[in-house]
Formats: sequence, structure tokens, C-alpha cells
Amino acid sequence: MLLRLTSPMAAGIALFALLFAAPLLGANEYYSYILNLMMIHVIVTVGLNLVMGHAGQLVFANAAIFGIGAYGTALLMKHFGLPFWLCLPLGAMLAVSIGLALVFPALRLSGIYLALATLAFAQCALWVMVHWTPVTFGAGGFTIPAVSFAPLPISPDMGMYYLAWAVCALLVVLARNIVRSRIGRAFVALSDNEISAQSLGIDLLRYKAAAFGLSSLFAGIAGGLFAGTLRFVGPESFDLHQMILQLVAVVLGGIGSLAGSVIGGVLIVVVLEFTKATKMSVEIVFGGLLLVFVLFAKGGLVVFIRRFLPSWNETLHASPAPRSKAP
Amino acid sequence: MKTQDMMIFGYLMATGLTTGALYALVAIGVVVVFRATGVVNFAHGEMFMIGGFLAWTAHVMFGLPFLVAFAAAVAGTFVLGIITYQTTFRPLASTGNQNAILLAMVGLSFVLKGIARDLWGGRGDYLSFPPLVSPTPVDIFGFMIMSQQLIVLGAAIAVMIGFWLFFRFTRAGKFMQATADNTKAARLVGLRVDRVFMLTFAVGAAIAGAAATLMAPLTLLYPDVGFSLFVKGFAAAALGGLGSIPGAIVGGFLLGVTEQLSANYIATGLQEVAAFILIFLVMIFIPNGLFGTAARRRV
Repeated sequence: MLLRLTSPMAAGIALFALLFAAPLLGANEYYSYILNLMMIHVIVTVGLNLVMGHAGQLVFANAAIFGIGAYGTALLMKHFGLPFWLCLPLGAMLAVSIGLALVFPALRLSGIYLALATLAFAQCALWVMVHWTPVTFGAGGFTIPAVSFAPLPISPDMGMYYLAWAVCALLVVLARNIVRSRIGRAFVALSDNEISAQSLGIDLLRYKAAAFGLSSLFAGIAGGLFAGTLRFVGPESFDLHQMILQLVAVVLGGIGSLAGSVIGGVLIVVVLEFTKATKMSVEIVFGGLLLVFVLFAKGGLVVFIRRFLPSWNETLHASPAPRSKAP
Repeated sequence: MKTQDMMIFGYLMATGLTTGALYALVAIGVVVVFRATGVVNFAHGEMFMIGGFLAWTAHVMFGLPFLVAFAAAVAGTFVLGIITYQTTFRPLASTGNQNAILLAMVGLSFVLKGIARDLWGGRGDYLSFPPLVSPTPVDIFGFMIMSQQLIVLGAAIAVMIGFWLFFRFTRAGKFMQATADNTKAARLVGLRVDRVFMLTFAVGAAIAGAAATLMAPLTLLYPDVGFSLFVKGFAAAALGGLGSIPGAIVGGFLLGVTEQLSANYIATGLQEVAAFILIFLVMIFIPNGLFGTAARRRV
């Protein structure tokens, strides 16, 4: 395949090359930290878009799953003194196992019902983080020591940065391959119409589990990286604000678009920092963005990019949701 | 059972029924909109929250009588319901994409919450509302019950009856019912369905505003109260089957009593999560609720 300079592939390679080079080119600590947060949010957004955009399942629990990944990783370090490289996959596994439990409501519910059931679940998870004080250290949160990358000649901050870079790149490639595979096509069929998907031989349980498991895996890993980067974990990082941040990221970039998820994940961090710097209300800015994009630019920013760059050749999978009133 | 235990039980039941009546009012708003349009108004809690703040502004800041504050809150939330309809449901209804409508409502709810936080105080600030009557309890059949609770319970039931009368006997109410039953047929006989939908959103929001004004003297007002009441209202509505107004009322009372009893006899923290657990369990095990009819799956 000839690589066009304005294809999503080339843009992605350029972006990751730039992210790799940024600290070497003299981005200071603050900018490296911001870039690190961007990569973490790209991971979350790509995962959420798989389940929300491609598979068409409106899940409002992703912020909590992200939190479970962060808590899982950090608590294993805190309570058992295990090394970060072991805690990160274990935390992600915890997030996946809890995310998979959400498949059971998802088998019976769709649309608004699923959204609110998963939201209720997320609030329960948040409640546990706040109230299970002996284990989770309660509402105040807790700190963890800096992650050492000892044999490598690299500072903890830079180590986390390049770890996030590598994981992010790997997961974006994984998501790209999934979207183009049989699994990705099954997701789209499932979001178009579950009954016709079943008649095509698509096993609902298996593919919904795949969608929820994948998004939880992405969110869980991102949560572990988030904990390692901030070295602080507290329940307020995973509340409704985090939920709307993630929803805006998906909608801003483009529902059902992998390139859009990368764009959205990067942009929400920019918007969030800008909002905080100018002391604007995060709720109004992000709520307003969600409202405006859903109303006036449903395909997100990738639609604009496609309009101006004809060689932007990503197939988009946003599909209308079912009209049915039935649960 | 010892007398003291009975006293506590009676107190819990009274509190549970009072808050339950308010949850029922919130749930009625959710159900009315759902029956007509097939969507759950995610910003419904923000209607409640802003209604409460409007009543506070009128009653505490401007010193107006409680009934005037009540009217102001109802009128204000009525308008807010129209705004919700115009900004979320109407532009997206023709696409038939429920997920998009829900996302737009999520966006609107955060905008409203942010505006309320700017106007009526920041995070962690709580506004208090003066009690309606002196807090002396009254003795009813040996139970000590706060007279305030009795007034709120009575007023909530009065609002329910008023709503029922509106639904049953006014032209607008009948239009709403007809449209909810069969939108196509309503359009065929010449109803302006868009207007009826708008009225439905407005009336649903106005009931939330009434509930907020009644609840204000019993509790504190803060910008996040909307989401918590929306969850409770939705839990009550879901328990009742989401499409049934009597179901929403029963669901509201059940939730109110369950919260009080579980908080007192099992664990205090349960009061906060009872609604979430209830939603989760109802959605998984009885998605049609206690009163809902089995929904057909459409291809």
C-alpha cells in the first residue's frame, strides 16, 4: 500500500514520532506531563470508542473502569509492595474482569437502559472507593512512590513517559487491527441491528464480551499508567467529570473513528488545561462541547478532516442507533 | 417489640414516606417524558436542582412567601423543560438516534449544573432553606411525627392529585395522553405532536420544580443534588416499569422507605447507594419493572 502523506496512517506515525521526540527536543517537565496525560487519554478514548462507536453500546461506566485500573495498580503497590511492572497488568486484569461483568446487563439492555445501568454501576464503584477506607484510603486518596526504572538510565518521569508512549502506540495499532478484522466487522453489525447480526451468525455474548473486555482492558491499562504518572490516586479523578471528559473525547474526535479517538484524546487534555488556566467552568465547557458536537457535528472532527483531505481514507463506522422503545 | 423500637420504626417510616413522595414526583416527570418520547431526560435532575435554587432565591433572598416561591420554581422549571426540548430532543428526534439524544441531554445537564454552580455557589457550598413550620413533632397513633414532614407529604400528594386532574380532565392533558399512546394516530387526527412533546417536557420539568420546592425545607440545596435526585427518580421509575405513572409513585415510596430502613438497620452508607443498587438489580432481573408490560423486541 502506498503511504500517502495525508492518510490517517501517516498522520499517526508522524504524531507518535513527534511524541517520542518531544522530551528530547527540550519539552520541559510540565509539557512532558501534559503529553503523557494526552497519551493516557488516547488509550482510554480508543477503547471507549470501540465499545461505544463500533459496537454501539452506550456505556457510562468507563470512567469507573479507568479508576479501577488505577486503584488496582496503585493499591497492589501500596499494600503488597509489588513492583509497578507487575501491578500494571494485574490492575488491568482486575478492570477487565469487572468490565466483563457488565456484559450481563448489556445482553438484555441497550441504549438508555444500558447507559443508566452502567452509570449506576459506576456510581457504586465510586462509592466503594470512597467508603472502603481500610483498603482504598477513603475520599482523600493516597500517594504511591515514584516508579523506578532502575537498570535503565532514565528518570521516573521520563520512564513513565516512554512507557505510556510505547503502550499507547501498541494499543492504537491493536485497535486498528481489531477494527479491520472479523471482530471489528461483527461490532459494526451488532451496533446496526442485534437481531440481524445474530441471523448472520454473530454470537451476541461473545462479541459483546469482546467489546466490553477490550474497552475495559484499554481503560484499565490507562488507569494504571495514570496512577504511575500522577503518583496519587483519589476517587474524585474518576467521577462524573471524568465520564463527561471521556464522552467528549469520543464525540469530539468522531464516534466510530480510530483516528478521531486519537484526536479526541489529545484535544480534551488541551481543552481541560485551557479551561483550568482561564478559570472557566469545566462543566459548562465540556457539557457545551458535548451538546454542540452531538447537535451540529455528529461525525466529529474527522468529518471535517475528510472534507479537506480526500486521501484521508479511514472507513467510518458510526451507525444510527436502534429506534426501538423496548429495552 | 419495645416501645422505643416502635418509635424509631415509626420515625423511619414517616421519613421514608415523605422522601418517597418526593422521589415519586421526580419519577413522574421521568415517566411522562419517557411515555411520550421514548427517551429518559438525563437533565431531569437539573430541572429539580434549578427549581430548588429558584425557590430559594424567591423565598430566602427576596423574602417572598413560600407559595410565591413555589409558583416561581414551577414556572421557571416549566420554561427550562421547554429549553431542554428545544435544545436536545427536537433537533435530534427526526434522526431516531436515541443515543445521540441521550448524549445531548448529558451535555445539557452538565451545562446547567455549571451555570447553577456559578450562580448559587461553588463545590461544597450548601444553601439552607428555612423550615416551614416549627419543628415540634406531633403525636399520631403513638408515633412522633415531624409536622413539617406531614405538610410536605400532604403537599406532594396534592401535587400528584393536581397532576392527575390535569392529565384526566384538561384538553392539554388529554393531548399528552393521546400522543403518548400512539404518536402516529395523534398526528393523523390533527394534533400538533411537536407542541405536545414540548408541553410534555415542560410539565415533567415543572413537577420536578414543585418537588424541589417541597424538598428544600427538609434538606440542603447544592448543585450536585440534581444528579442524585435524578438517579433516585429514575430508580423509582424503573422499579415501577418506566412507562407507568402509578408504578412510578409506588416505586418512589418503596425507594424512600427502603433507603431509610436499610440505612438504619443494615449500614448507614447504604442510603447513598440504595438507588444505584436498585437500578442495577431491576435492570438486570426485571427490566420491565413491577408494573410495566412486557416490551416487544422490534426488528
